[in-house]
Amino acid sequence: MLLLRQGRVVCPSTGVDRVLDVRVLDGQIAEIGVDLAAGDARVVDCAGYALLPAFVDLVADLADPGTTWREDLRSGSLAAAAGGFATVLASPATDPVVDSGAIAQGLVDASHDLPGARVQRVGALTVGLLGQELTEMGSMLAAGCVAIGDGGRTVSDAAMLHNALSYARPFGGVVLLRPGQRALEARGCMHEGQTSVQLGLRGIPAAAEEIGIAMVIALVRATKARVHLTHVTTAVGAELLARAKDAGLSLTASVPARSLVLSDTAVSDSGYDSVTRLLPPLRPEQDRLAVCAAVVSGVIDSVCSDHTPWTRVEKELEFERAQPGAVGLETAFSATFTALDGDLPRVARALAVSPAAVLGRTARIVVGDVADLALVDPGFQGPCAPPVQSRSSNEPLVGHALRGRVLATVVSGRLIAAI
Amino acid sequence: MLGKDLLGLRRLGVEEITEILDTAAHFRAVSERRIKKVPTLRGRTVVTLFFENSTRTRMSFDLAAKRLSADTLGFSASTSSTKKGETLMDTARNIDAMKPDAIIIRHPCSGAPHMLARAFPWTVINAGDGINEHPSQALLDMLTMRDHLGDLAGRTVAIVGDVYHSRVARSNIFGLRKLGASVVLAGPGTMCRPELEQLGVRVRHRIDDVLEEADVVMMLRIQRERLEPGAMSTAREYSRFYGLDLARLRQARPGILVMHPGPINRGVELSPEVADGSQSVIMEQVTNGVAVRMALLYLLLGGDPLPAGADHAVA
Repeated sequence: MLLLRQGRVVCPSTGVDRVLDVRVLDGQIAEIGVDLAAGDARVVDCAGYALLPAFVDLVADLADPGTTWREDLRSGSLAAAAGGFATVLASPATDPVVDSGAIAQGLVDASHDLPGARVQRVGALTVGLLGQELTEMGSMLAAGCVAIGDGGRTVSDAAMLHNALSYARPFGGVVLLRPGQRALEARGCMHEGQTSVQLGLRGIPAAAEEIGIAMVIALVRATKARVHLTHVTTAVGAELLARAKDAGLSLTASVPARSLVLSDTAVSDSGYDSVTRLLPPLRPEQDRLAVCAAVVSGVIDSVCSDHTPWTRVEKELEFERAQPGAVGLETAFSATFTALDGDLPRVARALAVSPAAVLGRTARIVVGDVADLALVDPGFQGPCAPPVQSRSSNEPLVGHALRGRVLATVVSGRLIAAI
Repeated sequence: MLGKDLLGLRRLGVEEITEILDTAAHFRAVSERRIKKVPTLRGRTVVTLFFENSTRTRMSFDLAAKRLSADTLGFSASTSSTKKGETLMDTARNIDAMKPDAIIIRHPCSGAPHMLARAFPWTVINAGDGINEHPSQALLDMLTMRDHLGDLAGRTVAIVGDVYHSRVARSNIFGLRKLGASVVLAGPGTMCRPELEQLGVRVRHRIDDVLEEADVVMMLRIQRERLEPGAMSTAREYSRFYGLDLARLRQARPGILVMHPGPINRGVELSPEVADGSQSVIMEQVTNGVAVRMALLYLLLGGDPLPAGADHAVA
């Protein structure tokens, strides 16, 4: 039993935004009110802090099974909880790839009873993530996978993607797609533009993402599949998305939290440090601002961690030879909170309500609901600290001035301290 | 004063570039003597770490170090542990353990010298990194131009060919712009893209568009090893629009300097008559290379700038 006392309760779904006590009992929210009696509950003084619905991450690579030196279910689960997430979707880009009913069943069973956030599985869209054959989507969803998608890989072949979306639609699961164009992306290692020209690094044209988004929009129109675009990071991409949403297509989208605060000058500022090598790459300032505006307006409805752990083995290399990606579970809240200028209801919407809705769920602070809560300190300011729980430390935000931090996460009524 | 390393010309100031060129001019005398050696860097260890093929640059640095009495040690990727899977950082850690004073590195990845410069205390000299910079080449190019034209402010240098993949072109652009020269580019659309204008240069298309105004024309080699598949048509077409032959040279300003960083693809970007002709200063570039690299080693490994006219370091 838990009594969270005097926190600012921010629940965008119900419109509640005021200081309240929240009682948690048997994994559920039992009572919400003023001056609730403690009884024999463990009391957490939340005065000066805020309670949000716990976050839901749609995009994380937990590397387990296969490359568990980077991350494993336990460390990934703890890193997620340290970041205010109660639920994290694990990418199918594991070894073996989650691309059959049997593999999915084994992994879903192995993902119970973790010490931090609950880990749920995404089943691959194409066998081996190779973009050539359809997977056993129906069997994987039946085994407990909560979504279908190829993780960070893009399906660039229009005919294949048309088939995959047509096949996925009747099973009902949402399809997570990273919009991109493989051949263009293979050409470079950072955003093509002023900074890449200055640094002499080969660029990936923004056209790669724009083509990917335009193709997905056309195919969603054609197949009526339910799609969530996982990495919209460009101004033109956000514009295409806005038009598609206006046209009533069943399309939602997210952006990695770090893309809201970092721009491609981080590559030059770091002196070619591979920690800033990402896919999609960091964008110029004008794209960053456009994407922030799109999150504020709701065109980009969700923010994800895009957690991609790599160790020194994969990162202590020449920029263009290092693996792209960065961790993000432990910093997503601070990055989002900073970018959205401390607007907690918007942050709760982007990190909890909208991604939960993508999975057909609610994220609310309501009596009777599962007690998934994030306790945050909105007054905190300071340079971003290195990750603590993740097994990897490739975090380009380290040292960056951020606001707000997560103090604790409640997962099904269980309190997990973050600091 | 130069810092610890020479990673490129992008962040160098006019004073530093001028200091290097002035110092190099002094060092030229050493290579003209019968005994081509001065004791300036006696006891210092210079390692050349080349992960790409090189004839000119490597020999030139090697000679420069030897003529300053430094001990030199060569490392090439084909004969080294790199083939056995050692990473650049691990190779560097091993070299570090042997206490070098300077490392001269050529590497196919942009930013590789910067990574070493960040991590280690010794001097790093970039001898070409990916498509980024090749500062010593640009310095020797600028020294050669200065020999013929004097002050480069107000002069126009045309760079023709595969500019996008050329670290030589990029270093020249950074350096020449700082010295007040104007730079105009020409080349195929895939190799001479409009975004290069962000470097403060003008981008044209055919060689004919730039020859008329140029005091210097620098012809580049097509970097086949760095070209994306499908980025080039035929060599015949290339030669037709972007190659320099005698007929074209006659259209240019009298006295125009023809330069090339080598190696030349004769008959593609340069006709043999032009490469070996009276306007060509290609061999002077090579000679100046040794002097520029002597100046770099001297300045970076702790030498004082030479007072104008003084000769103590080369005595």
